[in-house]
Amino acid sequence: MTETFAPTPANGAHRELIAFRIGEQEFCVDIMSVREIRGWTPATPLPRAPGFMKGVINLRGAVLPIIDLGARFGLRTSEPTARHVIMVAHIGGRMVGLLVDAVSDIIQLTDEAMQPTPDIASDHVKSFVKGIFAIDGRMISLIELEHIIPETEAEAA
Amino acid sequence: MNDAVDPFEAIKVTFFQECDELLGDLEAGLLAIESGAADDETVNAVFRAVHSVKGGAGAFGLDALVRFAHVFETLLDEIRSGRKPCDDVTVKTLLRASDVLADHIAAARGQAAPVDEARSAALVAELEMLTHGEAGVSAAEVAPEAVAVVEEDEFGFRPVAFDFAALDIPDEAPAPTPTATAWTVVFRPHSRMYAHANETGLLLRELGRLGPMSVSLDISALPDLDQLVAEEGYLSWTVAIETDAGEAAIRDVFDFVESDCDLSVRPLGAVETGTASASAPADDFDVAALLARAQAEVVVPAPAPAVIAPTPVLAPAPTPVAAAPSPAPATVAPSAPAPAQPAPAVTIRVDLDRVDRLINVVGELVIQQAMLAQRVIESGLARSSGISVGLEDLELLTREIQDSVMAIRAQPVKSVFQRMPRLVREVGEMTGKRVRLVTAGEDTEVDKTVVERLAEPITHMLRNAIDHGLESPDDRVAAGKPAEGAVRLVALHRSGRIVIEISDDGRGINRERVKGIAVSRGLIPEDAVLTDDEIDNLIFLPGFSTAETITDVSGRGVGMDVVRRSIQALGGRISIASTPGKGSTFTLSLPLTLAVLDGMVVTAAEQTLVAPLTAIVESLTPRVQDIHHVGGHDAVIRFRDEFVPLIDVAMVMGFRDTPVPPASGVAVVIETEAGARAALLFDAIQGQRQVVIKSLETNYQQVEGVAAATILGDGRVALILDVDAIVANARRKARPDLTRSEPSRPDFKLAS
Repeated sequence: MTETFAPTPANGAHRELIAFRIGEQEFCVDIMSVREIRGWTPATPLPRAPGFMKGVINLRGAVLPIIDLGARFGLRTSEPTARHVIMVAHIGGRMVGLLVDAVSDIIQLTDEAMQPTPDIASDHVKSFVKGIFAIDGRMISLIELEHIIPETEAEAA
Repeated sequence: MNDAVDPFEAIKVTFFQECDELLGDLEAGLLAIESGAADDETVNAVFRAVHSVKGGAGAFGLDALVRFAHVFETLLDEIRSGRKPCDDVTVKTLLRASDVLADHIAAARGQAAPVDEARSAALVAELEMLTHGEAGVSAAEVAPEAVAVVEEDEFGFRPVAFDFAALDIPDEAPAPTPTATAWTVVFRPHSRMYAHANETGLLLRELGRLGPMSVSLDISALPDLDQLVAEEGYLSWTVAIETDAGEAAIRDVFDFVESDCDLSVRPLGAVETGTASASAPADDFDVAALLARAQAEVVVPAPAPAVIAPTPVLAPAPTPVAAAPSPAPATVAPSAPAPAQPAPAVTIRVDLDRVDRLINVVGELVIQQAMLAQRVIESGLARSSGISVGLEDLELLTREIQDSVMAIRAQPVKSVFQRMPRLVREVGEMTGKRVRLVTAGEDTEVDKTVVERLAEPITHMLRNAIDHGLESPDDRVAAGKPAEGAVRLVALHRSGRIVIEISDDGRGINRERVKGIAVSRGLIPEDAVLTDDEIDNLIFLPGFSTAETITDVSGRGVGMDVVRRSIQALGGRISIASTPGKGSTFTLSLPLTLAVLDGMVVTAAEQTLVAPLTAIVESLTPRVQDIHHVGGHDAVIRFRDEFVPLIDVAMVMGFRDTPVPPASGVAVVIETEAGARAALLFDAIQGQRQVVIKSLETNYQQVEGVAAATILGDGRVALILDVDAIVANARRKARPDLTRSEPSRPDFKLAS
């Protein structure tokens, strides 16, 4: 819960990002939106939920939905194991667990280093990817977390 | 906590909160007067309520509110002093005036549209006519009551009513008999005394501890405004006191100020007695006011002249009498109505967030305790072992803590019920029907959230009861009923739930018409055979409205289906019983809290689920010969000579694709809120447990068929089933046509 990260510098030049891996691909999200990282625990499935919705887990008394990011991006998915990682992220006032293969590192980049998403990417992927960074020959896609949670269905009204 | 909040705004917020309470008192008092259950104190309480509103409003410059309250209060004062009779007409007018006062407050608060000026003006005229209709206003003395209020002045100042008893000072001030123990104390402070931060009010209070006293204030030295020096001390007090303590004790009180004032202490003489008692009544209240301020500001005593100063400034031409009592209250107007409340229950205001945090933590404690208990059982310890015994005690304590914490959030439904008389009056007026509202069980307590969310459905149902239920006075008389219709609103506790009944003695539900409308709207097939109960329940269908013409009152595009939805959203049920010609009764049954739930823990396809205990009728092991299939593969099971649908929950929830033989599981017969029965098939029953309700919506969204989630002893999340949605869902899939009493509509989305 405690937020110990320093706020982003006022000029906005530097970004701190958490990089993680799903399969062979690398992604990153703004470090400010990640609250904690924890190991996989079996989730309670929800009825008739979309495939990427792994279910809900107990996070110190709160019910936390778990989204399989790989499935959300339309990548291949595997049954989660103890080696998988849940990044607890704060998205639009909600806490959501993001299931990924592994968290690789924390990177500092400037906005100028961000390149637009190439056109060859499918529309589906493009809707989640804000831009890409090239570091040491690696390609890391910056994820727009706001689009991760599907629009609430009409029944929530 | 409120560092960032503008203190003035914060006080204003408090003022409006107090207004809510005062309006409640006002209405309750007026209703008591109307029903003849009032005594003198009721009239006083009503007066005080309006008076306090006016005073606070004056401090915030809410002129429209002050003007209205002033007229209102003037009439009340006439009644209070017995100069005006309080007849039926007057009470009715007062009630309507209280409605307009509420409108003024809401408008001042910015919550509502500006007040209907015409209505307000008409009432002002009415009030004034009642006030001045007969005897002129005499400059009579203030009624010498223990709890009395200073006459208001004309400048919007709010005098504080003050109870002497609260300060341990005898409130009666009989003229002391001239015995050896009676003394006259004349006390004239110099400006120096105030400059030294001494306080007359405190000194007099101190003096009052010695024995019964009567105080009179001499303001003859007070100069005209243009000559008044704010820092000067112009006032002197004459105190007649009876005490055994002797002169020394009296002088001791003034020990620290003796050099800064003129003080004389003499055995009581005839002359002083005369002057003291002549002016006693009014001046008593001045002291009261000063003492009230001393009480309120005891930490920061301010020199009295500085406090007095604002009065002349704000009031260009004060008469001395009006000016003297008012200064102190004016300074404390927004914050000190407390002393006026007779015998207040000791309460504190607590930030709701704090309570909720506590409730959450206790919820965790309950879960943790359950986890611990489970671990101990798993470890195979003997039941008699010290750990097991200790754990049992812990469980009892945990339960007690939880109950106590829940009790903090519990509130009487009074706050909702209190709003209803006005509604009934207005709807009655609009529809031209005479209505009497009878309420009972206002003190029934239920969780704050439930209370808040009850107002709307109750409002709606009362409107319906008057608009659709009651007949016009003529029709009623023709039917041999009293012209005045009765609507009852009752709250009570029944088997761990709160039950709200709304009944009328009107015409009852016209089943012919209800059925006709349902057919014409395509809600049921024309040839449907329905029981009376089923027909009555049709009014809960979406899109159903029996009013032939849309009326202002209840035809606002929302119907009973909305009421039912909002009740369901609270985990409640609604039902109706109606007798033609005799009236209808709507019964709401709601959980007492939205924080915990008694549930049956079951498993289905490896998943642990919780079924709300309130819905469960019975559980049974299905026998092959009791299971039948209607049509294709819709299974039904015989339950006490009745066939009810058998629903495989794991299949409905999508936890498994292929059905299992029913006989291998357990069937739990449940009843939906509409009274329809169904049997839910699970793999096994684990037991009964109180669970802490966790919302799925906080971090996710509503899930059909799931009411909420909880955390079980093993630390995992379990889903709490929404049995109604499951039944509706299964039936929707099976047969869209209506065959049983709970009609389900394809577009019916369950609000859980």
